[in-house]
Amino acid sequence: MIGAGIKRGTAELAVLSILEEGPLHGYEMARRIEEQTKGALRFTLAALYPMLYRMEQRRWIRGSWETSDNRRRRRYRLTPAGKKRLSPLRQEWSELFQALRRLKKVALA
Amino acid sequence: MVGALPSFAAAQEGGPCLIGKRSCTASSTDPHSNRTRAEVIEELAAHLDETFEGLRRRGFAEEDAAERGRNEAKDWRDLRRRIQTARANENIMTSRVKQFWLPALLTLLLSMSFLMLIQVFGPNPWLLARKSGWSLVAPVAVVYIPWLMSLPMIGAMGAYLSNRAGGSQLAVFSSILFPVLPYLVFFLVALPVIAILNDRLAHNIVFAALFVGLLAWVLAPGGALLAGGLLLQLFYARRLTSLSVVSN
Repeated sequence: MIGAGIKRGTAELAVLSILEEGPLHGYEMARRIEEQTKGALRFTLAALYPMLYRMEQRRWIRGSWETSDNRRRRRYRLTPAGKKRLSPLRQEWSELFQALRRLKKVALA
Repeated sequence: MVGALPSFAAAQEGGPCLIGKRSCTASSTDPHSNRTRAEVIEELAAHLDETFEGLRRRGFAEEDAAERGRNEAKDWRDLRRRIQTARANENIMTSRVKQFWLPALLTLLLSMSFLMLIQVFGPNPWLLARKSGWSLVAPVAVVYIPWLMSLPMIGAMGAYLSNRAGGSQLAVFSSILFPVLPYLVFFLVALPVIAILNDRLAHNIVFAALFVGLLAWVLAPGGALLAGGLLLQLFYARRLTSLSVVSN
């Protein structure tokens, strides 16, 4: 079970990564993240939207209203600034995981 | 199939009031505020509807699905506060302000203030010109060495502030070089205009002054600012590959 602190830290990376695949609305975003992480990361409405709005304000993502299946939904897409943010974020997390793996080896030695 | 399912709102008594009663009634008279508030409500309602429908499709009873939908946000007041905070941050200070205008204006202010202080309290400037006997021949370049020496630090500060706010390369370099912009405008726009309008000025001296002025007040300070800014950029590039992320 992943703790709340780690989840918070990975949330932005998860959203930016899932939007790299293509534009999505909030519900679909949450569903895909949950599906792809096999339930390890689950975004409730209360966790997802304040973060989406914050990321939108930072211009990492851009939301626009679209109508499909007779439903009006706000669909988010990754902006060039978001793409730029994603690359170092991935690197940082990858380095963190590598560091933790090394730590595990030390612990097992 | 979706249309045949009851909506989350319909499963609630009178429909959910998503972010507090005051928000639902849109009490503010600000049309922009009402519009964005209405959009937030619409978006959250759509999310709840889809959650409800998804659960119903997976075989959940209507009451269970509605209960799970309600659990998506246990504290609506807290959610309202967090959404307001997330949306208000941008109104107070936009990304462009944080990434460019703030660092740029701060570097400009610091460099100008420091130059004024040096002019009043500092040593005499270094005068660069051709000599004719004991006197200097125009144009004369006035160089404040202590000011030039302070510029790498100011450039580094501009780069740091812009970097910290997530500025692009363009924003970072513009912030670093912003203090030389007024001089660049003066030498490239104001001085030629003065030369054209004032027929008493000897044009050969004006163009020599333009070159000397650009060198002393644009290229040299720009280089000094860039030296500090680029050094900091280099530090940031190295830091990105370090493990300092652990402290985040």
